[in-house]
Amino acid sequence: MKKERSKKYRLIQVLRILVQVVFFVLFVHLLLNAHFTGEDYIKKVEVFFHFDPLLALATFIASRVMFASFVLALITVAVTTILGRVACGWVCPMGSIQQFFSFLFKKSKLHKPKRPSGNHTAWKYFILIFILVATLLSLDLVGLLDPFSFLTRSFALAVLPVFATTGSVLTGILYKLNLTSLGDSLYQFLQNLDVNTVFLQGFFLGALFIGIILLNLVRERFWCRYLCPLGALLGLLSRWNVFKLKINADKCIDCRLCTIHCETQATPFPIGDWKSSECIYCFTCGSICPTGAITFPLRFNPAKAPQVNLSRRKLLFTSFLGILAVPFFRLSAAGKRASSKLIRPPGALPEEQFLRKCVKCGECMKVCPTNALQPVMGEAGPEGIWTPMVVPKIGYCEYYCSLCTQVCPTGAIKELTIEEKVEVKIGTSWINKNRCIPWKFGDPCIVCEEHCPVSPKAIKMIKTRVELPDGTIKTPLAPVIDTGTCIGCGICENKCPVVDKPAIYVTSIGESRSDRNQFLLDVIDETGIY
Amino acid sequence: MNRRNFLKDIAWGSLLLNVNPGLWAQGKSLPDLAIIQGESPGLIAKEAVAALGGMKKFISRGDKVVVKPNIGWDRKPEQAACTNPDTVKAVIEMCFDAGAKEVKVLDNPCNPAQRTYMRSGIAKAAKDAGADVPFPNNHKLKKMDIKGEWLTSWEVYSDFIEADKIINVPIAKNHSLCKLTMGMKNWLGAIGGNRNQLHQKIDLAMIDLSNFFKPCLTIMDSYRLLVRNGPQGGRLSDVELHKTVAAGTDYVAVDTVGASFFNMKPEELPFLRLAKEKGHGETNLEKLNIEKRTI
Repeated sequence: MKKERSKKYRLIQVLRILVQVVFFVLFVHLLLNAHFTGEDYIKKVEVFFHFDPLLALATFIASRVMFASFVLALITVAVTTILGRVACGWVCPMGSIQQFFSFLFKKSKLHKPKRPSGNHTAWKYFILIFILVATLLSLDLVGLLDPFSFLTRSFALAVLPVFATTGSVLTGILYKLNLTSLGDSLYQFLQNLDVNTVFLQGFFLGALFIGIILLNLVRERFWCRYLCPLGALLGLLSRWNVFKLKINADKCIDCRLCTIHCETQATPFPIGDWKSSECIYCFTCGSICPTGAITFPLRFNPAKAPQVNLSRRKLLFTSFLGILAVPFFRLSAAGKRASSKLIRPPGALPEEQFLRKCVKCGECMKVCPTNALQPVMGEAGPEGIWTPMVVPKIGYCEYYCSLCTQVCPTGAIKELTIEEKVEVKIGTSWINKNRCIPWKFGDPCIVCEEHCPVSPKAIKMIKTRVELPDGTIKTPLAPVIDTGTCIGCGICENKCPVVDKPAIYVTSIGESRSDRNQFLLDVIDETGIY
Repeated sequence: MNRRNFLKDIAWGSLLLNVNPGLWAQGKSLPDLAIIQGESPGLIAKEAVAALGGMKKFISRGDKVVVKPNIGWDRKPEQAACTNPDTVKAVIEMCFDAGAKEVKVLDNPCNPAQRTYMRSGIAKAAKDAGADVPFPNNHKLKKMDIKGEWLTSWEVYSDFIEADKIINVPIAKNHSLCKLTMGMKNWLGAIGGNRNQLHQKIDLAMIDLSNFFKPCLTIMDSYRLLVRNGPQGGRLSDVELHKTVAAGTDYVAVDTVGASFFNMKPEELPFLRLAKEKGHGETNLEKLNIEKRTI
């Protein structure tokens, strides 16, 4: 038997890697561009999401509203139906990362591919079913494991901040070494990138991302093989793909290299076992085959290919779990009364609809010019984890900015113009007179009033009388809040000189999006102030 | 002109004034202050500096100059919260014409610098005029001996320390704490640290910082005056067109002139009163030679 590897598939493999690099660079480029660039309106930086049929389907089912941009997902559906899961193998940046690290681990002998065993590839289908059943009952968990959401969140909240902070430390070192002009260039470069570096849970999210990467030590492309619900959805679509793997039985030497090295356990060997739903068309088998026995000829006849075994009993059980997940995820007080800390970005839909649409991708947190948007931990209940909220101690909502509303891929934050945005109230500020410098010490301070962006100001200074512990009387000007004009942007809390626990703070009450998180409704309507 | 000469001139001026006002009118050719009114913010700034004897009087060939406008807020020029970009541009052009080697424009703003530099129009105007417009760089903060009465030391952007000459280009506007913010208040944008804590003794902070930075020239944009809701305003109804610029070497006097635009007397503004007491400058405009013109 003549031993010769296929040059054609080796070439296709190189081409595939190039395409992967291009799409990965595009992904990072778009994510890096999600920041204030000097223009009030930003180009479509979230376009990757709209090609994701899982997000389209899940948000549609959960919210019962179709978001127009998701029409692009039909392209992915069409391509997958005709060509199979090429989107996984050639385009998906999450897949490319998994493959890259699998490759590294293999090259460094940290991972030795074994013959696959067991039916674990079914996991991802169960994950998909679980998510979709839960969405039917309006619990939207798709963002937790959707690859674009996962990757964008991990990059925006952990990976990019780590790189940016490293760059900043490096700049400091350059200045210390008196390489001033080099330091200046690096500093200006980092400023232009404008990466937010402070994130609650940043460490945790980063660790999770590292964890997913380390799973590639167990199996190549562990995420794509076993976990990815989008991969599962595309797998369900790829039963009729026109290119089907064929092993030339005359050439095959039963070495099993193809099956051992198959990145997604599509089992090219034994002959007839190849699963089109698992194949991502990476062509590793085609190029690794020592005799060039593997080809992917065009075949229109829908030969009944073997599928991943999803037993009916397990499917029913998973669906049942999906149903149970709904009350389980709502075992919290979050729905009972609005959380004071849960200050949603301007344009956010009313909480119930918001949770049905937000896919927790972190794009809004990436674009926020003041780093104000942070991932929620418990304030919105278990289903609201990693959804965005304004944390005024870290950043505030910039007055002439509606970037977060523009980049939201699902419309959970409704797109607003600057003119519309300045009318939105996201909360209300309050003064803690026990800590406020004029109210407590009788000394002058107007920092909150000075920064208040609305015009006329929502913070007014009034003459007051303060008695100090020693009995002296002071009559400083002290801040009071005009609750009706306050928009809850939080710049007052952010700039308050009482550093540890600001003397002025914002809570969510009065937010425009909510009917219930209000007080004295009729009074507002009549006078505009309380 | 340094402060010593300047004070000498003032002494002479007041002496002459006491002796014979008529003599004073003919005696000096160059004014202490120029107040120029006109349609173009850039042209009036140039005219004002020309009236003071031209930029060559302040900037020498090869100087590294830092121009400090107010770029504090994410507001457009029409909202009059930041220095007029045309004024900044004119100042930079004059510096280069006078032979400056390098002109830097920077400010530590209240909103993110990426936004304020852009929306104020100053970044573009300054770059067009050939200046370097760096963002305030915290790596370059240096703890400096301010030697003030209240502020003994504070973190200052080293761009200001390394410059040969500093030109202050503030805008005059309403401020709820100081009543008015003009040239002296502008120095809060040249420092880092917890600036918001300075508000507890803002007048002393302004005086100490102004005396530390000692600009060789103050050119105060008063083309548009923010008369209410300062220091950042927002509504166009808070802005009045004044179409004026005031320039001089005595920053206390320039701020006094600015106050007069808002019909305020120096006695009403504690920072001016205190600055005068400390001998940092003059607040009695009658003692100064002022050239006031409309072009």
